[in-house]
Amino acid sequence: MNTKVVRKKLRIEDILNNNVWDVDYEAHIIVDTSKCAKCEYKPCVRLCPAECYTMVDDKVLFSYEGCLECGTCRIVCPEEAIKWRYPTSGRGIHFRFS
Amino acid sequence: MRKIIKSCGITVVNKMDVASYRFDVVVVGAGPAGSSAAYTLAKRGFKVLLVERGRTPGAKNMFGGRVYVSPLKEIYPDFENKAPIHRWVTRERVSLVDGDNMTTLEYEARDSKSFTTYLTQLSGWMAKQAEEAGALLLNEVTVDRLYIEDDFVKGIVVGEEVLKTDVVIDAEGINRLVLERSGIVPKLRPSQVALGIKEVIKLSAEEINTNFGLEGNEGLAWILMGDVTKGVPGGAFIYTNRDSVSLGLVVYLKDAIYKVDRHISNYIEELRLHPLLNKYIREGRIMEYSSHLIPEDIGSIMPSKPYYNGLLIAGDAGGFLLNLGYTYRGVDFAAYSGYLAAKAVEYGHDNGGYSEENLSVYKKYLEESFILKQLKKFKDVHSLMKKERLFELYPSLANHIARELFHIDYESPKILEAIKRAKEGKVGWFTLLRDLYEVSKKL
Repeated sequence: MNTKVVRKKLRIEDILNNNVWDVDYEAHIIVDTSKCAKCEYKPCVRLCPAECYTMVDDKVLFSYEGCLECGTCRIVCPEEAIKWRYPTSGRGIHFRFS
Repeated sequence: MRKIIKSCGITVVNKMDVASYRFDVVVVGAGPAGSSAAYTLAKRGFKVLLVERGRTPGAKNMFGGRVYVSPLKEIYPDFENKAPIHRWVTRERVSLVDGDNMTTLEYEARDSKSFTTYLTQLSGWMAKQAEEAGALLLNEVTVDRLYIEDDFVKGIVVGEEVLKTDVVIDAEGINRLVLERSGIVPKLRPSQVALGIKEVIKLSAEEINTNFGLEGNEGLAWILMGDVTKGVPGGAFIYTNRDSVSLGLVVYLKDAIYKVDRHISNYIEELRLHPLLNKYIREGRIMEYSSHLIPEDIGSIMPSKPYYNGLLIAGDAGGFLLNLGYTYRGVDFAAYSGYLAAKAVEYGHDNGGYSEENLSVYKKYLEESFILKQLKKFKDVHSLMKKERLFELYPSLANHIARELFHIDYESPKILEAIKRAKEGKVGWFTLLRDLYEVSKKL
């Protein structure tokens, strides 16, 4: 209690920086973003642990590079807008300590 | 096949006449289920191909942090002395958290039935056992779907290539895209799974021992419920590895869709910084961040038949995981289901082929083993997870009772008095007792 340690939450980018990927040349996630407008909750934005989905000006943008390949987005998307497969040829996330 | 092998840069196989080379069994996925199946079959003389989509086995694996050892000892001789074991869990802690209050039940013993490790390491070790027993491991191969002919699984499809074999063991994991694309299981629904996310935090072995009060390779398994998930049904965990700590969060996906109101990483970061937890790990830095889906509603995930003509399903893909809230058993269930699938293949081989009828012996093996006995015994536990009171109200109530009993100025209350005060305006006796009855019946 005598030494006050200043601790703060890390941004997701900084957390992800500890991981190793071999990013696939081709996207393994394809999103039909035209379907996102009518999606009320947009669960992918909050639940993708790697924050692959972000809101920019009311639109859902996505990137596949930081994907942890858990498959959450594919299942929570109520509009079936996400085409998701595993990266090929050993690419994608490479866990070492999990 | 030639192309698959070439694309993997495997030279050892190229020496064989690849095009005419036929494997008796193809195992999809070198996780705990696939590798134990491949190992068991290779040891019994089968020509086994084990395909893994990661660069190395384990690269795509993630789990909480603890493995129960007895089933693995049955599969691997001298497992305890050879496997990459970090710490033996000698201390079990279950905590109910409410704000900055925490009520904990702790059990400590000198001996242990489970250990901590990185699944990435354990999977690597298990795949190596399969290789040493004679199985061929091909990394960096993502299987697209099963090759089915006349309602009989006759191989796997990778890109444009078809690799034919006599029988396939599908141990591809929870997302089971191969089974889904092959029309064998429907797409997973949020109500069937939970999302687990984990930070692995680097500390020295000495720091871990000092911070957690452990000695040598003693380990701690710590489950937390209540406020840790900010009202989203689920829980949290901490496991001590050799020189790191696994800190994780589990949320039921169906509830998370509506209840997680900020990016999910905030939840685990707040857990890491929680005043009651951060003191154990404050010197640490994050070394890896991972996530994975966890089978939850096992009854609905498990295919009615974990076999098909020419196919057996093992591990998470078959829903073989036991979650009791205070403990998870995934790796031992997966490994043992792979082991039983291997025995079912052997039965098929000895009895004229891999028809559904012959392979149905797998279901029998599962039923006779702890796997289906345990999953049946605890089949109603999942329905408890729908009770929000268990995740919010009761952890809070436990802390209020403890506070009444232990935070004393002058007057100590009688226990019943403390309970009465704590539950005042929150829950009635009837609901409380009914829930208690239900929990003790189902869990």
